[in-house]
Amino acid sequence: MFLTRSEYDRGVNTFSPEGRLFQVEYAIEAIKGIILAVEKRITSPLLVASSIEKIIEIDSHLGCAMSGLTADSRTMIDHARVAAQNHNFTYNEKIKVESVTQAVCDLALRFGESAHGEESIMSRPFGVALLIGGVDEKGPQLFHADPSGTFMQYDAKAIGSGSEGAQTELQEEYHKSLTLVDAETLSLKVLKQVMEEKLNKTNIELASITSEHGFRIYSEDELQAVIDRL
Amino acid sequence: MNPVALYNHEPLTSAAKQHQFDPYEMNGGTSLVIKGSDFCVVASDTRQSVGFQINSRYAPKTFKLTDNAVITASGFSADSLALFKKLSQNLEWYKHAHDKVMSTPAIAQMLSNTLYYKRFFPYYSFCLVGGIDEQGRGVAYSYDPMGSYGPEPYKSVGSASTLIQPFLDNQARVGHQNQQIVQQSEISLESAISITKDAFTSASERDIYTGDFLEIFVIKQGGVTVERVDLRKD
Repeated sequence: MFLTRSEYDRGVNTFSPEGRLFQVEYAIEAIKGIILAVEKRITSPLLVASSIEKIIEIDSHLGCAMSGLTADSRTMIDHARVAAQNHNFTYNEKIKVESVTQAVCDLALRFGESAHGEESIMSRPFGVALLIGGVDEKGPQLFHADPSGTFMQYDAKAIGSGSEGAQTELQEEYHKSLTLVDAETLSLKVLKQVMEEKLNKTNIELASITSEHGFRIYSEDELQAVIDRL
Repeated sequence: MNPVALYNHEPLTSAAKQHQFDPYEMNGGTSLVIKGSDFCVVASDTRQSVGFQINSRYAPKTFKLTDNAVITASGFSADSLALFKKLSQNLEWYKHAHDKVMSTPAIAQMLSNTLYYKRFFPYYSFCLVGGIDEQGRGVAYSYDPMGSYGPEPYKSVGSASTLIQPFLDNQARVGHQNQQIVQQSEISLESAISITKDAFTSASERDIYTGDFLEIFVIKQGGVTVERVDLRKD
């Protein structure tokens, strides 16, 4: 959609409906859980790599990787966290992955003038795409929510600038019986292929969501262990 | 001052009489729940009265919420019906939002929140929720009108609850601590139903607010069944 310059390129407040996507983030649904992996582009040697945060916890059973204008994701993640907590408060159960994704996507069209009671929160569309993963009663589930407010479920999905190559690679390598450990290595293997910089423990982020341990971000030592397996 | 007033206890000028808004009524009736390992029995009589008047001999106060949950409430009938209507609506919204039927534990939490939301103008309803959980185990919850709730093995609320609760303590309890004859195994569906019938036939002998008909709901994996039994009509 809108790959060429068009009327959407005019005006400081006008974003393309797709938003602009950078870098590579992707997620793989494995048998027992979800793996989220992202590239952190270290733009300067003076940049503190650990300050880039592109995988975020929504609830103990839900995680999210983002691509695009990551600042925009603050509003969406906040909304998702409120939706998750509200659900737990009201029904004493964990919200489904699809339900939080729907809640986040409900925000996507709340820009511009406010309409019939819905409070408008943004003057422009969100410019961020999210990969929302989690484990619920249906098992591990992965959804891709784009700035248009559409969401789709995937077994494995890559988004961002290097996503085309990554998605092709995922399509070849993914199979239904992938274990969590397989998914860890596959995600980094694909990331390695599409990254311009050499992959190391500081320029990537990896997280898993499992029914046993919930959402967990890998430490540098754990990352190194996965990298050593490549 | 008029000297007569000294001998008159009633003030000559009538003091302003305070009328206050009291929108509550007590309609009597009794409800009961007994849970088993893989079932739950929820029952109530159908009489609705105010004082010595009977409004209706058949005004049910037990309703099926889902295939896995039944609710019953005694107290103020109008409030209970309004509450049930609100719950049914929430159940429908939940189904559309999450594409699944609300589980019985989720209904239990939602009812608590619904009641507490009206903490300072409560629904005058003493609720019981019975059913089976997602694992097919029997579950039962009892509530006060403000929303305090907790799981129960068996419970009776309403006008004859003071008669029925001790009877249940004696008959429906497993592993009695201070009794001579101790029932060791989990209660069976058959005995839960017969205890329910005995409880209500006895209660209607002594409590004028309980009678006419008894409705027994049985919740098991695979659905809800209802049985109607006659009670004293006087």
